[in-house]
Amino acid sequence: MKTTNKPADSLVLELQERAKELNCLYIIEDTLNKSDISARQAFHTIINTLPQGCQYPDSCRVKLFYEDITYQTSEFEESKWFIQVDIVVQEKVVGLIKLFYLKELPKADFGPFLKGEKKLLNTVAERLGHFILHKKLKNVFKEMNDVRETVSKSSKGEWQIVLDMIRKTDPNLFMSLMRKLLHFLCWKGVEEAEMLMKHASIKRRVVEFEEESDENKPMKIKKIANYDEYVDTIIRLAGENLTDDIILARIQKWIQEDKSSGLVKVVENQDTSLTEISDAIRKYYHISPEKLELSPSTVKGLRVSLLRRFFTDQLDFISVAKEYVKLTDFYKLIDKMIFPPASHGKLGGKSAGLFLSYHIISKESENDPLIQNIKIPKTWYISSDGVLYFMQYNNLEEVLEQKYKEIDEVRIEYPHIVQLFKNSEFPPDIVKGLSVALDDLGEKPLIVRSSSLLEDQLGAAFSGKYKSLFLANQGSKEDRLIALMDAIAEVYASTFSPDPIEYRAERGLLDFHEEMGVMIQEVVGVKVGNYFLPAFAGVAFSTNEFRWSPRIKRNDGLIRIVPGLGTRAVDRLSDDYPLLASPGQPSLKVNVTPEEMFRYSPKKIDVINLETNEFESIHIKDLIKKYGQEYPNFSEVFSVYDSNIVRPATQFDLDDEKKELIVTFDKLFIKTDFLKKVDLILKTLQAKIQSPIDIEFACDGNDFYLLQCRPQSFTGDITSDNIPKDIPEEKILFTAKKFISNGRVPEITHIVYVDPVHYSEISDRNRLLQVGRAVGKLNKLLPKRKFILIGPGRWGSRGDIKLGVSVTYSDINNTAMLIEVAKKKGNYLPDLSFGTHFFQDLVEANIRYLPLYPDNEGIIFNESFFHNSVNIIRDLIPEYSHLEDTIKVIDVVNSTGGSILKVMMNADLNIALGVITDETGVSESEKVHKDLVENHSGEHWKWRMKIAEKIASELDAEKFGIKAMYVFGSTKNTIAGPGSDINLLIHINEKEAKLNDLNLWFEGWSLCLSEINFLRTGYKSPGLLDIHYVNDEDIKHKSGFASKIDAVTDAAAPLKLKNNQS
Amino acid sequence: MSSKDFNAFEMAQAQFDKVADILNLDDSTRQLLRNPLREYHFSIPVKMDDGSVKVFKGFRVQHNDARGPAKGGIRFHPQETVDTVKALATWMTWKCAVVNIPLGGGKGGVICDPHNLSMREQENICRGWVRQLARNVGPLNDVPAPDVMTNGQHMLWMLDEFETIHGAKYPGFITGKPVGMGGSLGRTEATGYGVIYTVREALKQLNIDITKTTASVQGFGNVAQYAIELYTLLGGKVICVSCWDQEDQVSYTFKKADGVDLNVLRSITNKFGGIDKDKAKELGYEILGGDIWIEQDVDILIPAALENQVRGDNAQKISKKVKVLAEGANGPTTPEADKILQEKGIFVIPDFLANAGGVTCSYFEQVQCNMNYYWEKEEVLTKLDSKMTAAFHAVSDLASKRKMFMRDAAYVISINRVAQACRDRGWV
Repeated sequence: MKTTNKPADSLVLELQERAKELNCLYIIEDTLNKSDISARQAFHTIINTLPQGCQYPDSCRVKLFYEDITYQTSEFEESKWFIQVDIVVQEKVVGLIKLFYLKELPKADFGPFLKGEKKLLNTVAERLGHFILHKKLKNVFKEMNDVRETVSKSSKGEWQIVLDMIRKTDPNLFMSLMRKLLHFLCWKGVEEAEMLMKHASIKRRVVEFEEESDENKPMKIKKIANYDEYVDTIIRLAGENLTDDIILARIQKWIQEDKSSGLVKVVENQDTSLTEISDAIRKYYHISPEKLELSPSTVKGLRVSLLRRFFTDQLDFISVAKEYVKLTDFYKLIDKMIFPPASHGKLGGKSAGLFLSYHIISKESENDPLIQNIKIPKTWYISSDGVLYFMQYNNLEEVLEQKYKEIDEVRIEYPHIVQLFKNSEFPPDIVKGLSVALDDLGEKPLIVRSSSLLEDQLGAAFSGKYKSLFLANQGSKEDRLIALMDAIAEVYASTFSPDPIEYRAERGLLDFHEEMGVMIQEVVGVKVGNYFLPAFAGVAFSTNEFRWSPRIKRNDGLIRIVPGLGTRAVDRLSDDYPLLASPGQPSLKVNVTPEEMFRYSPKKIDVINLETNEFESIHIKDLIKKYGQEYPNFSEVFSVYDSNIVRPATQFDLDDEKKELIVTFDKLFIKTDFLKKVDLILKTLQAKIQSPIDIEFACDGNDFYLLQCRPQSFTGDITSDNIPKDIPEEKILFTAKKFISNGRVPEITHIVYVDPVHYSEISDRNRLLQVGRAVGKLNKLLPKRKFILIGPGRWGSRGDIKLGVSVTYSDINNTAMLIEVAKKKGNYLPDLSFGTHFFQDLVEANIRYLPLYPDNEGIIFNESFFHNSVNIIRDLIPEYSHLEDTIKVIDVVNSTGGSILKVMMNADLNIALGVITDETGVSESEKVHKDLVENHSGEHWKWRMKIAEKIASELDAEKFGIKAMYVFGSTKNTIAGPGSDINLLIHINEKEAKLNDLNLWFEGWSLCLSEINFLRTGYKSPGLLDIHYVNDEDIKHKSGFASKIDAVTDAAAPLKLKNNQS
Repeated sequence: MSSKDFNAFEMAQAQFDKVADILNLDDSTRQLLRNPLREYHFSIPVKMDDGSVKVFKGFRVQHNDARGPAKGGIRFHPQETVDTVKALATWMTWKCAVVNIPLGGGKGGVICDPHNLSMREQENICRGWVRQLARNVGPLNDVPAPDVMTNGQHMLWMLDEFETIHGAKYPGFITGKPVGMGGSLGRTEATGYGVIYTVREALKQLNIDITKTTASVQGFGNVAQYAIELYTLLGGKVICVSCWDQEDQVSYTFKKADGVDLNVLRSITNKFGGIDKDKAKELGYEILGGDIWIEQDVDILIPAALENQVRGDNAQKISKKVKVLAEGANGPTTPEADKILQEKGIFVIPDFLANAGGVTCSYFEQVQCNMNYYWEKEEVLTKLDSKMTAAFHAVSDLASKRKMFMRDAAYVISINRVAQACRDRGWV
């Protein structure tokens, strides 16, 4: 953003001016907020402070008139250079402030005065107005209280004094009180009052007629007569029918209601801008001398309106939030909001979730000290229309059309948009807001997060698509401000990145008006060496979809926790592991042996480097070696690993460099109430929000911070399936009713079934090991995530191999699902492993686990399907054909005449179902989701098939010596994804083939297609074509890929060549 | 279960029968050694965290203690069977006898899955196990150690319970304790160094100068690293190691023709023995496929990773230059491969001799505990050297005298030692 020096210089100047103004405002605000200050003192403070907020304090003089008294600064002189503003109380001018410059000074916006100075004066006058009103009201209340006290002592009727006083000072209020009193009397059943109500239709505005033109005079007199009579009657009736206490209490309540009516009006009106709302809230806050007690209905009404304006129209959210969020909470909120003038924006889904959950926890903590002192980091918000304002200011509106472009165009242009945004200026009022925010947040590292409105609609499947950026926020204010604006611009630009646009296109949401709120949040943490990080952070889910023990119940929850920034816990990692624990079962560990604990302990940590101002992933070992002594809550996080024992570490362990320190959180989990606390938070939020939820959290060593909260149903891959009831039994392959988790399993085309009976009958250890190796081979050959493994007992069993197939994670890493069958032997039911041997790998790769108990009552296990289907093991791994009794490889599509296997899981019902189904057998609600995905994924194979046909038709068979060409694999099987190759099989005439030329020709195609594919999908590859040559000899022997031609299963499809008769 | 099932104990008995034939053992000796001397089956009631009581099934098998107190691990396994425990106890008897340490064979276990148990519950299982057996185990009759899913922590709980019952300190009751709590120094090095002590002796016997030899090692875990350390110290040159890459889920071979530098490799290795292949490349290492280690033109092959690594399908690829194969891992060679190795005339140091450094060090731990005096690391390693060297020569002498293969000779010698002890005691 540093284009030239000039804007930066003027920016600094402007910022300095702004700082002066703010300082001045703070002093005034401070003084006026003192409860015991007199009006005189207040006026003196104002006139003496105001010059400090001006450009030229030395030559500035101030004069203030109020109620016939004049206040002025010392050495006061009048001059011709001045600005002035009225002091208004309840729409009546009661005074005036004038600001003078004594000599001629450089010209600015208004004579020598800056816009800012004018604004400052306006603000001070307005604030003074509130102050005066506040004072007045306070007096009224004081008198009322005095009256009340005397009433209790002396005779009846003195409440009338109060009414008299109000009648003189505030006729509007008086009339309103009269009407309410009349209603109240009617309500109490006073007949005379009812009569009065029917016959006297007195307008409230009647008083104002006094000041109007002569024409109205006759009418006025008539009304006045009525008016006095009317008032007297009401007062008489009240005196006769009600006790003094009741009347006084009522009057007090009505006065308060009247004062809040302004706020209600403003908030209820959808046309008012955020600025107006915030002014109204500020005013309401100032004039409530002691916390006004509004009627519960008014309060709720106000809460709902405010929630709607600030957060969302979603009824689910509002109905919960209105019970927990107080009006004063909004006052605190608007102080931290930055928004364009006349803004109608909202704060977005993320802000809403955090705001709500924090207030639920705060309120519920009254019942349980365990969740007291849960904090949220200091946060500033930019309203969702900030992005539009930013774009309008820079004339970038055409970018809005981006979403209607072709996705490859969007992808090409995205980097430019990022640059464009980063090189654009922020509107001055936003810059000022950000500057104030930075002063408030100080030099602590920040995270700039998107808080989009679409997240509300769609859930978190969406949220990951927008950016969150960490800022070290170090250095001069100027640098920090520039970095902050840079980050916000980048977050704004991410609205136009191809991924979310593609996602929205798929779901038909392009036309939904996307606006994005931004949260500027302090990063929770402490300084460790030159790094900044929390002691630990992570995510927690109120329902657990990855259970490693049957003792863990679904609602025991799941926590993923890492040392340092939580980014490594939020994302699934390919090369590292977070620690897992179940808050409801704190003592059951995933990893129990020291080796497992070591293997699955995190090795890297995410931190903010305060020197380079970068977000970094570094090795925990290096960090501990250098700065272990400074690490917060060291012994709760780390343990010493000594080949055969793991124990919590102490700071002294750092002295011995040979000691191996690993992250286990043992002490945190066992010796502190951390897990109990998380459990209570999850359970409380789940109960109140009435949905499973997940939270993000962090701890700086002292306090527990809540960073995010959202309904768990938003997390795409763990929603539950609908279990249709009308599936004919012959279509069901298996059912399970124990330990079911939610989770999506894609359509399955192949099953690898290890027959429990045959497996247990193998007596040769080597043969047992071969079964594992065969599974490993199949894992490499079968289509990734399109097959499932079904086998007896414990997959991955190392020691006692007969208890389960001996495999390592690499032997099963492509499966979609791992199924363990517990078949009774005699009267003995084997225990299942729940995948413990590679549990964390399964979690990170999102491979689902399912235990089957075929002998249990009401369970279907269609063994005959496994026995009777064609076993294609010979075709795939002929070297293991001797195991064909034990291992069945079933091509579901071929065996069933075009159907696939679908596994539906519903943890709420605790039912899972494996069903042989075709496209039409899908339930309606499923279909919607499926259509979206299918249509989309269908594109990939269709496009590839078209390309394959095109290539064949362009290929000069004679010239290159080619006999035939085939397509096989994912393109042919219609399962190609955005990153798939196109597998081509070329049958060459060995004598005539010109392989060199041919290779060149294909290489050209391959590179071009790869580029096109990248533009379409964002997947990069070194080439899209995977070419295999076979000759007559190969085909004769069906060796290698030649076996695909005319194969029993998954045969290659021939393509029509140019110049080829066939 | 049908009789066709794979049964570890039957396999152990079959193996014994084969050797018994060679030794021409009489029937009563056979009967005694085919079966354990004593088997304990008992119940361990444990109060669970939720207040309920669960009863766990525990075992201890003392296969033979003619040569000294039974020695063997305690396993926590959900599908533990007494047959497995019996088989493992039998193997322990032979293993202790082959290195000629005065210990017998035992094994124990509890049917449980620690993944489903809290630490407190596991502690109560450990203490319950000792309470049931306090009179039948101890430093003078049966010495447990950690095994599958048990570790130093479990051993300390058990030791504490034992000492509480007997009202005195008996650190020699159990081995595998942490250093400082009765553990022995040199434990980490023991197995890897033990492998090389036997390799050194083998080379001497084959009249090969170790400083002129090269080796290829499979694996880069604890055993492999210390084997490479000592071998390099003795002047040998390791030209390649292979190890598993967690990220890519395949193994790679890291080759450097002029010899790998152990310290450099260690500095780029994670704790599971996975070498960072990008850094290795920068350092001039050639990155090859995981199976390449076996095809190298070296004098010595050391499979020190997993079982079943030298198989019928790859044993043929072993270079003609290879003279010695030392089994650092357990069961790295399949029976088919064994035949090929015999045909090729490769000198095989069988696993239960080559990697017996571990159990020997456990014995040293017990010795030190019993006298409550702990040796320096050098002393442990020196004593280990003499034990391993003696054990090697006993086996190789027999092999050359009787023209037997090393693996068979090792079994013969150990079973013979146990049988002799039984006879000397007048049992048979």
